[in-house]
Amino acid sequence: MDTQWPRWEVFKQDAPGKPHQAVGSVHAADPEHALLTARNVFARRPQAVSLWVVRAEEVFSWTKEEIAQDPALQGGATPARGLRPTSYLVFRKTSHKRSMTFVDHVGEVQACSPQEALREALARFRDAEGLAWWVVAAEKVHRSDPSQETVESWFAPAKEKTYKQQQYYTTVSASRPKRRGEDEAFGEGCAHC
Amino acid sequence: MPGRYGVPTDPDYQERLAEFEARIRRGEKIEPGDWMPEEYRRQLIRMISQHAHSEVVGMLPEGAWITRAPSLKRKLILIAKVQDEAGHGQYLYHAAETLGVRREEMLEALLSGRAKYSSIFNYPTLTWADIGTIGWLVDGAAIKNQTMLAQCSYGPYSRAMVRICAEETFHHKQGKEMVLLYAHGTPKQRAMAQDAINRWWWPALMMLGPHDKDSPNTEVLVRWGIKTKTNDQVRQEFINEHAPEILAAGLSIPDPELRYDEKSGNWLHGPINWEEFWQVVGGNGPMNKERLEARRRAHAEGAWVREALQAYAARQQRAVAV
Amino acid sequence: MKPLVKDALIAKLTTLADDEVILAHRNSEWVGHGPILEEDIALANITQDELGHAILWYGLRKELDGSDPDRLAFFRDAYEYRCCELVELPKGDWAFTMLRQYLFDLYESLWLEAAQQSTYPPLAGAAQKIIREERFHLQHTRAWVERLGLGTEESNRRLQQALDFQWGYAQQLFVPIPGEELLVAEGIVPDLVPLKARWLEQASRHLQNAGLKLPINPGYQPTSREQHTEHLWSLLAEMQSTARWDPEAKVW
Repeated sequence: MDTQWPRWEVFKQDAPGKPHQAVGSVHAADPEHALLTARNVFARRPQAVSLWVVRAEEVFSWTKEEIAQDPALQGGATPARGLRPTSYLVFRKTSHKRSMTFVDHVGEVQACSPQEALREALARFRDAEGLAWWVVAAEKVHRSDPSQETVESWFAPAKEKTYKQQQYYTTVSASRPKRRGEDEAFGEGCAHC
Repeated sequence: MPGRYGVPTDPDYQERLAEFEARIRRGEKIEPGDWMPEEYRRQLIRMISQHAHSEVVGMLPEGAWITRAPSLKRKLILIAKVQDEAGHGQYLYHAAETLGVRREEMLEALLSGRAKYSSIFNYPTLTWADIGTIGWLVDGAAIKNQTMLAQCSYGPYSRAMVRICAEETFHHKQGKEMVLLYAHGTPKQRAMAQDAINRWWWPALMMLGPHDKDSPNTEVLVRWGIKTKTNDQVRQEFINEHAPEILAAGLSIPDPELRYDEKSGNWLHGPINWEEFWQVVGGNGPMNKERLEARRRAHAEGAWVREALQAYAARQQRAVAV
Repeated sequence: MKPLVKDALIAKLTTLADDEVILAHRNSEWVGHGPILEEDIALANITQDELGHAILWYGLRKELDGSDPDRLAFFRDAYEYRCCELVELPKGDWAFTMLRQYLFDLYESLWLEAAQQSTYPPLAGAAQKIIREERFHLQHTRAWVERLGLGTEESNRRLQQALDFQWGYAQQLFVPIPGEELLVAEGIVPDLVPLKARWLEQASRHLQNAGLKLPINPGYQPTSREQHTEHLWSLLAEMQSTARWDPEAKVW
């Protein structure tokens, strides 16, 4: 039987102070390999300063619809007796707007189970309506090295690979190729979207 | 993670279907875990995996020219472009995986010949100008589709498409830049560009899919917000954008019936050779066998590599356990 | 700069660039044929970086003698190329490619680390710039060597075969070119002797930790960059075929 290796969800932080966002997943064999792979797949272009990876099975997810249909998930958290609470990272999506990322990291809660972590999160993060929630035990998350040297080595070189940016090409007029700098200003996104 | 998939025999199917369609009309995204008709899921898996396969097979005709790119800059650009295609395949397999299908299964379907992929990649790349032309015309056609799919009602597919669109625009522009440069270049460059346009124009029109009347899935796909335009609408948009640009560059288009229609504002085209399209889709295009063979070989030759890393990971886990 | 030093620097920059171009060519043969999508993407990153380095080195040469990087890459033949033989060898299997990349990355990062102190500011600047991505390459290929070495019996065997094959070739990376001593004396490029010692020490440790045996007899060790393998001629014929197809073309 073929193996494509386990799947790891990837969270990318675009700049210091911004939340880590779910950008997609990679197939990789082990945590270190998953981080290297995430860098190769999701930081081919700027911007990134940090990556987290977690095995897909370690992610607990609920949509608004699922929560609405499960009364046990609403209302405040009721800590299970006898279990030691641990840290869970909470991620949330709040908009139906078109986007290339899914849930954003909103914070951390202490809980004895993913379900309890979700209840805690629903009670705590009320500034916007959650359309989808992810809860991940903090100890299951593998993070890229935050040292300046690694950040430079992993993420800075992409900024100089300008040939991957559509702004590099100057082809607005079909009858005459333009010189660089003559082109209209395109944003970071897709000119067609 | 997969949610509940409704079938018409469920007692509450009609009621839930009505809620589901109302959500789509309100512009809400359907996310993994939400209720959805089994047929919605099936259509998405079919479309997304075909799309992923197309990206992966699509690496081959262009990748073959990396070693022959005529300048360091073009070589760099082409590697980045083919790499993006691997990335796009990767994003799309991810989107399909959220529907509970595994990448192993999807690859097996591709390699066994059961799964389809875009007809366009079963044509050969004969000269360097094909690389520019694929960027301009083939990626130009693909972007039309992808821009539409970025609006798709299924969240993971839509997000993959937004990411892909942002990168694909580079593909389109580098191709267009290249062909325009050759159109104004030496006589040999110019002839090579024209030859490439002659060979890729019709396949580019075909890759946008059969006419609406021969496209049985379109109606339900539009109703469920998977597609928002029909094949013929997208094709017309593509022609309206590209035909005048090709002609303005002093190149010709191999369609004697092509003309601008003042009344509709559209460029009207002559009949498409659908017999050729169905032959290619059916496995009889010039490159079908070679493309699949190349994928199978890479997959087979990579098996020991994938096993090795799996064995290493298992050993590490045992070490941690001890 | 004294004319002799300048000539030596031009020659050295050419070897640096040629190594990168030819290695990038070999790696680029994998694009679309990798063992899994993610690794196809990863190797394509490394390949782009190497080509980027080549462009940078040819660019430094251009500042010295006005030569055009594309002319150098696409219109010199095997007599004129100054790459080492290691990079010319056919890509082989994934173990062969990963090992070569590891041996080369380790050499390159040590070289760049030292070249940051170059007394020739353009070279020091270039080294500071590309050492960053080279560190990532090395992390990546180190990880691969470890995993293949300690993976399955088959992966260990294939990696060992690659090592037995390449070890002697890799030593050429530390053979100075004629005139290099002038550059070392002026502090323009690092002395290869201490670099080789560090390379040997680090490579040996990592390879042995990955369950490999260092070859007792390293075999053939090329010493002159004027000589090449029998592969270079056809590699260049392929690489240069489009550029040479229309010699009148001014731009591509």
